[in-house]
Amino acid sequence: MESQIELIYEEIRGRENAKLIHFIGDLDATNVETVLEKVINLFNDGVVKLVVDFKQLRYVNSTGLGILLHFSKSAKEKGGCFKIANINENVYEIIEIIGAASLLEIYDDLDEAVAAVD
Amino acid sequence: MSSTFKIDIEELSSIPGVVIVRFQGSLESETIGAIEKIFTRVQMGDSVFAVADMGSVNLISSAALGELMGARKRLIELGGDLVLAGVILEIRTKLNLMGASKIFKIFNDVRSAINAYKWETGKKSEQVELTFPSNLKMVPAVRQLISRVARQKGYGNRDSFRIETIVDEICNNAIEHGLNDSNLNIGIKVDIDPDKIEIDVTNISDPEKIFSLKTHLKPEEHLEIQNDERRGRGLMLIKMLTDELTFNISEQGTVVHVKKVREE
Repeated sequence: MESQIELIYEEIRGRENAKLIHFIGDLDATNVETVLEKVINLFNDGVVKLVVDFKQLRYVNSTGLGILLHFSKSAKEKGGCFKIANINENVYEIIEIIGAASLLEIYDDLDEAVAAVD
Repeated sequence: MSSTFKIDIEELSSIPGVVIVRFQGSLESETIGAIEKIFTRVQMGDSVFAVADMGSVNLISSAALGELMGARKRLIELGGDLVLAGVILEIRTKLNLMGASKIFKIFNDVRSAINAYKWETGKKSEQVELTFPSNLKMVPAVRQLISRVARQKGYGNRDSFRIETIVDEICNNAIEHGLNDSNLNIGIKVDIDPDKIEIDVTNISDPEKIFSLKTHLKPEEHLEIQNDERRGRGLMLIKMLTDELTFNISEQGTVVHVKKVREE
């Protein structure tokens, strides 16, 4: 059975082409394609400034991390951003081990991440 | 002292080193003297691993909890421990609020506490072995099962999470690099003891992929990360999270063996 993941979207007041996405569940090889499709649809609609809240993201594996890097790169190429906030310490350790901490824009606090959106 | 309060000790002749301290009633501040006295008796004896049977306790004051923490500290200094068993929900909630559940190991009942003691001191390993269809959708259930086994055996949250990641990455690799046939099975064998966990994952190799698989597993690969790579970091993650990693690749199948030492 696929791992459960839910994406909840919120507008970011005062910012154009921007959205806040809450990730809830586990991100792994069984559901990356679903998540990829949803985020690509946002990019195609011109929403290129994304803040993602990982407070309720329990788990991520290397495949999930791969698409996060992909989102970050694609958003920047389109003149936007991909900012991550509220990562739990287990998930952060995985990001750090992979060497992706320096490639992603990571914030401790969600408000701080939202405020950093142009 | 509260009239409802009672305390007594039971030495277990069948399990040397373990003593059960049975509490009954309300552990209020007036009971501190009795609690101190009973644990002084425990410390003077041969048994330094104490199980506090809290099944008949209906109230615990901060002062009494402090006395139990002191007793635990003294027993730990003697190489033992004080664990709690059978705590009712109301008191468990209070222990959580007071942060005591992070200090004491809490078991559902005395038997579970004694089993945990025997497991920790016996140094015997236990095995879990299962097979599952070669399908990525099966992996979440498998990785969560192995992680839960580790947690149930006393491994901490961080270790259990790392074990979940290791199992996930190895199984995903076994499926992606194995023969593309969901009628075939992936085998996983876990050997866990209080100090370490060893995991073997076996698949049926795809003969056409053996060469690329051997290249993929070269140690000098995967040292650098590219921002636009979407895949291929699983092996690096496994290497970083384990203490030992070996491969046995043949036409018959690939066996990946990992060892991870318990850290907490």
